[in-house]
Amino acid sequence: MNLRTLKAPAVAAALLFLAAAGCTDPTVAPKSTVTSANIWSDANSYQAYMAKMYGALVLTGQRGPDGSPDLAQIDEGTSEFLRLSWYMQELPTDEAVIGWGDPGVPELNKWQWASNNTITVAMYYRVYYLAVLANEFLRQTTAAALASRNNVTPALRTTIQQYRAEARFLRAFAYWAGIDFFGGIPLVTEADPIGGPPPKQVTRDSMYRYIVSELVAAKDSLPAKSASTYGRATPMAAHMLLANLYLNAKVYTGTANDAGALTEAQTVIASAQYSLNTVFRNNFTADNNLSPEFIFALLQDGSRTQTWGGMTFLVHAGCGGNMKASDFGMDYCWGGYRIKQQARRLFGTDPRGSFIYDSAAARVAGDTNTSGVANVKDSVISIGNFAHGAAAPKFTNKTSTGSGGSQLTMIDADFPVFRLAEAYLIYAEAAVRTNTNLATAMGYFNLLRERAYGNTTADLTSTAQMTLDTILAERGRELLFEGKRRTDLVRFGYFAGAGDRLWAWKGNQPGGVTMSANYNLYAIPANELALNPNITQNPGF
Amino acid sequence: MHEPVTGVGTLGELPRASAAFRALALRATRVRRPGFAITPGSQKPYSLEEMGMKREGYLFGALLAVLCAAPLHAQQTATVRGRVVDEATKQPLAGVQVNVAGRGALTQADGRYVITGVPTGSDTVRSRRIGYAPSRLVITVVGSETVVADFSMSAEAVGLAEMIVTGYGQQTAGDITGAVSQITTEDFNPGRITVPIQLIQGKVAGVQVVDNNEPGGGTTIRIRGATSWSASSDPLYVIDGMPVGTGSGGGISAGRDPLNFLNPADIQSVTVLKDASAAAIYGANAANGVVLITTKSGGGGAARGTQVEYSSSYSSSSVTKLADVLNASQFAAAVAKYAASRVSMLGTASTNWQNLITRTSFGHEQNLSVTNSNLGSYYRLSLGYLNQDGILTGTNTERLSLALNYDQRLFSNHLDIKANLKGTRTNDRFTPGDVLGNARGMAPTQPVYDPNNVQGYGTGYWDWNTAGASASNPMASLNWATDHGTTWRSMGNVQAEYTMPFWTALKANVNLGYDAALTNRQTFYPTILAAQVRQGHGSLTLNNNTQVNQLLEAYLNYSAPLGILPGNIDLTGGYSYSQSHSEYSPFNETSLGSDFLGDNGIPTALNVNNSKSVVDYKLISWFGRVNYNINDRYLVAASVRRDGSSRFGTGQQWGVFPSVSLAWRLSQEPVLRDIRSLSDLKLRASWATTGNQAFGDYLQYPTYSFSNGLAQYQFGNQFITTIRPSAVDPNIKWEETGSYNVGLDFGFLSQRFSGAIDWYTKKTTDMIFYVPVAAGTNFSNYVTTNVGSMKNTGIEVSLTARLLDGGRDGLGYTASFTASHNANTLLSINPSRSVAQIPVGGIGGGTGNTIQVLMPGQPINSFFVYKQLFDSISTSPTYRKPLEGQYADLNGDGKVNSSDLRPYHSPWPTLELGHTSSFTYRSFDLSFALRAMTGNYVYNNVAAGATYQALTGGGSPSNMSSAILKTGFVGTAQYQSDYFVEDASFLRMDNISLGYTFRYNGNPLRLYVTVQNAFTITGYSGVDPTAGLNGIDNVTYPRSRTVTGGLSVRF
Repeated sequence: MNLRTLKAPAVAAALLFLAAAGCTDPTVAPKSTVTSANIWSDANSYQAYMAKMYGALVLTGQRGPDGSPDLAQIDEGTSEFLRLSWYMQELPTDEAVIGWGDPGVPELNKWQWASNNTITVAMYYRVYYLAVLANEFLRQTTAAALASRNNVTPALRTTIQQYRAEARFLRAFAYWAGIDFFGGIPLVTEADPIGGPPPKQVTRDSMYRYIVSELVAAKDSLPAKSASTYGRATPMAAHMLLANLYLNAKVYTGTANDAGALTEAQTVIASAQYSLNTVFRNNFTADNNLSPEFIFALLQDGSRTQTWGGMTFLVHAGCGGNMKASDFGMDYCWGGYRIKQQARRLFGTDPRGSFIYDSAAARVAGDTNTSGVANVKDSVISIGNFAHGAAAPKFTNKTSTGSGGSQLTMIDADFPVFRLAEAYLIYAEAAVRTNTNLATAMGYFNLLRERAYGNTTADLTSTAQMTLDTILAERGRELLFEGKRRTDLVRFGYFAGAGDRLWAWKGNQPGGVTMSANYNLYAIPANELALNPNITQNPGF
Repeated sequence: MHEPVTGVGTLGELPRASAAFRALALRATRVRRPGFAITPGSQKPYSLEEMGMKREGYLFGALLAVLCAAPLHAQQTATVRGRVVDEATKQPLAGVQVNVAGRGALTQADGRYVITGVPTGSDTVRSRRIGYAPSRLVITVVGSETVVADFSMSAEAVGLAEMIVTGYGQQTAGDITGAVSQITTEDFNPGRITVPIQLIQGKVAGVQVVDNNEPGGGTTIRIRGATSWSASSDPLYVIDGMPVGTGSGGGISAGRDPLNFLNPADIQSVTVLKDASAAAIYGANAANGVVLITTKSGGGGAARGTQVEYSSSYSSSSVTKLADVLNASQFAAAVAKYAASRVSMLGTASTNWQNLITRTSFGHEQNLSVTNSNLGSYYRLSLGYLNQDGILTGTNTERLSLALNYDQRLFSNHLDIKANLKGTRTNDRFTPGDVLGNARGMAPTQPVYDPNNVQGYGTGYWDWNTAGASASNPMASLNWATDHGTTWRSMGNVQAEYTMPFWTALKANVNLGYDAALTNRQTFYPTILAAQVRQGHGSLTLNNNTQVNQLLEAYLNYSAPLGILPGNIDLTGGYSYSQSHSEYSPFNETSLGSDFLGDNGIPTALNVNNSKSVVDYKLISWFGRVNYNINDRYLVAASVRRDGSSRFGTGQQWGVFPSVSLAWRLSQEPVLRDIRSLSDLKLRASWATTGNQAFGDYLQYPTYSFSNGLAQYQFGNQFITTIRPSAVDPNIKWEETGSYNVGLDFGFLSQRFSGAIDWYTKKTTDMIFYVPVAAGTNFSNYVTTNVGSMKNTGIEVSLTARLLDGGRDGLGYTASFTASHNANTLLSINPSRSVAQIPVGGIGGGTGNTIQVLMPGQPINSFFVYKQLFDSISTSPTYRKPLEGQYADLNGDGKVNSSDLRPYHSPWPTLELGHTSSFTYRSFDLSFALRAMTGNYVYNNVAAGATYQALTGGGSPSNMSSAILKTGFVGTAQYQSDYFVEDASFLRMDNISLGYTFRYNGNPLRLYVTVQNAFTITGYSGVDPTAGLNGIDNVTYPRSRTVTGGLSVRF
């Protein structure tokens, strides 16, 4: 190789590099989306983020009703908080059964859940979805963070302080579901950054104490009840959550705190901010947002808040067979859940059971038999057949005056998480458990009976009649399908383990069988055990 | 043929150039310093004087004398130049090594070479090129002279001499060191081919081409198995030097294969770079292999004047198999038995819905091309038109394509400018999406029409008038719903190759290209359709998308004998810049206010969703390659590419992808060279690391997305749009595949029998997975990140034999075989502790059901099912009845739950076989192609949904697969049973074709008839054993048998 063979490529290469020199940076920033770098420069983001946190209990993603899910690897409609929670609270109990073969559902019906059950896995992640959202909000709204932005007006700063309390409430609410379903779980707070190491598991007791301390700290900063706070957490919502926690303290910590539950329930009742809806059924209609009874509710709207979970699921799935969807303000039925005979028989002639489909009152003209099929019994003799077990469409998309909701597929009805009736029942139960304030408790109890019957014929007349079992049965009638049943049965010791009771399909037997105590908890997801070395699985899984 | 030697410098060529260039050249010459030798010796067609260039010529001559004459004179050496052509075809031969007196050169594309510094005296000039008999010429050199030595070489083994298109260049087949297969026009699959890549279906060992039966439908190609799961496993497509991306040729379309914009009739060759070393020059895009498509040009070297070629074909397609469902009497019997209360709902008709929605479809295709080649330029202009109906009523594809390839050589062939321009408009009509499923589910006892129109919501068709979910009349959808789209796509590039005038071994290349596509699609379901009345109340979806890609590439190539060491060296180095800009603006509305305008207007509607997104992408690369060839005996190739991509996270933007490959042509060793029957024996080995970045854009950015108007949350009575942070891994980067390949090429009797065996193993690491993350550590339960690894190992064998070499009038027979085996194993989906499983493979039926799994130790997409239990007593003479809902308790815990699901087979074939036979006899030609796969399994989703509950579960009794007659299931559909995972091994005659060629008015004319999908032998019970790549057979477009007759004529 002589000189010329070296020079030519050198010159050419130099030219080439020169030509390319201007184009050596491959960075391209997104244009159609905002990034974490600039989202907070919009002052509206605080409210929008807050709405996302509440929405995460009802919606499944950023498109209604589906198309941009929050959670992956599960059917989007199924991944909704209320629907998951409802499956887990109702299907293994004496209240409901669903004939669908959707992943994870049959195992809940039949008490065969494992650590990879689609429903329980999704619930676990929904809990942390909420917790992480809240943590990020708390990090982004510290005094220092707000001071660093020049778009936070004093008025907004005040609102943000309310939002911060609401974020803590929602995180506590999510963790409550977490300890109730799964026992001891990891605690993730605003001190744990995104992308950090896998969190440490804490005991059920520690998590309980954390939730309680958060609620106590945040409750007075929550926005006071007003027309603009419907759907948001108010101080009374925090008291109701505390009442529920204290009532179940024995289960969560081993030490009862029924006195605490009594106090919290009393606080709610004494606030006089809520009153019983005069018509029981109007708590479950498309216009139940008008109910004076709701302390905390998950809000849905047929036009603006659309999901395949939540009330869409509860209203559609309760209708099936030859029932007319139009009677419930809908386009069509999904043929999902029915009431089991054990819960059905709690009602007897109680008017609160009027919606149950074996009662003449619930039948529609031209519909000659229950659930559309002749000779049906109220017994769930098979899980898969909608005609076995009575249909019980408690929730409807018709308004209290009988007109339709805003849409036929998507539902307007809201879901009551806490309503005043439950405060009365908690008070009554705590009074019996502590053997105090029994007369007052019976008064509250009778308020529910009187509303149901329209008169005092069904009132208890002596505090001796007010036993724990009476109260549990009353909860079964008053709060049927409101997502409390499993927690109640566990608290009463009837769910699983020594002294448990039987109902249809418990343990995959038509008549039910006794199940061991480890079924009082669901399993921590199998994948979580693989991903987080700090986690120990619940016994029996 | 010896041309007169002129002794005048290359400036003699200048008059052909423009005045501007002349001035430039002269200025350049003036600043040139000594040491830049100017090689004399080109021919001189016009003198400078004739062109009025006398003064400048003298000036240049004087400069030349000053700069060059002294050293040339001092050495007393001469120049040898000449041109090498193929003896038979008289076409110039490129890449011929010519040696004299220890000096050498390689011939250029025009067959010319120049060797300078040849000492005076008598000497032998030798020319060698692989696949040709070496040739020699004795010359006598006198000092300072130029001697012309032309060769015409006779081909020995055409296969070895064939030019193979490679990344950024081409090579002779015999010199290739990697695993590369090139299929050219004559070997393409015949018949009606709409999607270009189907031209090579079954032709290349290790390349799996899966079409979806729809005319022009999306076609998937896997080269040596899937290397990825979340990112694409599609190869990179490079069309005429334009990398167009992965996944059906990148780009966008209105719904069918984006590569459809290429008219298959315009394609000259398809080269598949199978092993990583061959593909590695494409770096971060090369992990799935590279498919190079070269379109026809008018070239070939010789001046042939103008030629016109016209071809025309007509085809007819008919359905081969439909889903097996209950007929009217079976259905009525089932309703009577299992849904007694609904007997009154049954009609009295006997309707075969599937027959009604299918048809014998026709299609035709016309192609006209004009080629012209002169000494310095050639072009090919082609116009194509295709109109093909699908066998499902309503399906159609229509393509109008125009292509121009133009090549101009300037400056005594030193500058070669190639321009490719393609423009296509494709109109696609789709069968409305609900038609196929409804044809299966609609009760066969109901009539098609409802003259009273009472129940049919005003469509004129009979329909169930129920509120509950029901099948609906597919004929109503066919006639009322519309779904169609148009794709405009144009691609073009200009490639300029400049051969340094004084140093022909060095070439500079610049490639400038664009690829622009505009698509729209309208889908309209009017409110009066029964299904819409039940739920959606009409919907209108409009998609208007655009994409513009731009490319700039510049590279240098140096190709010459090394000089100081034996052998030839070929160096390539360059830079590539490509960017893409896409805009998507989908619009969807439901609950329409009016049907009146169809898809021509946007009526008011209750639910309206529209959005816009802009996506940009950039890839910047540097690449280099060296090929070293020692006497065609030892071959070495090494390449490296450094890619910077906008898809990688900060700090991860740049990746380096190296490769090395070696080949040893044993047949050139003295011991073996004497075995005359052995024409080629080459051992190859290679290693390379390639990347895969075929995943979404902006994955590394933590973004916030706004909710749409239907996902707001209510505070009081105010509805608030929400914002959501995305879960991201900011450090995301490319997937990396490290591969080893060992291969043996062999050929006997001048390549009359030839073949190759390859063994490979490739391991993908840093695999991108959408994986679960520990709860509480990110904004969702899954994040797209680099975890996981996967392995593919396989063997490929291909054999070609010219068994009978019939000559002009005798019987000729060529047979080729391919066989390949690939084993895929997912190694891990988590770096530290193994995640047990990720469910994948969503199916039809139920809510959220999946049927496959990603699980370490198993092939990806393995079926994940329960083990079905069967009746212990055979109640039927032919089969054991599956027990409904009864599965083996595999883990023995006394419960049958999701812990008893286990991986069970996969959709991947263990063995793929291909065979092509071609016969010629006098003017006749006959060929057929067979293809077989074994060990591939398919989940029969249609059969799995069959349960008598379908008669009572919905608002109306729904028809089902005839599989119910065997299973007799009455409850919830048993989707998770392994009973429905079926062996889908098959043997298919892909095509058989008979042609007759004769002369009409002196012009060659060929008539042919081809039958595609002549037959399929399979034990699979569903519609088609090749029902999609992922092995889930649900709403499968039925397969057709197509008979095509056509002619082609050249004049």
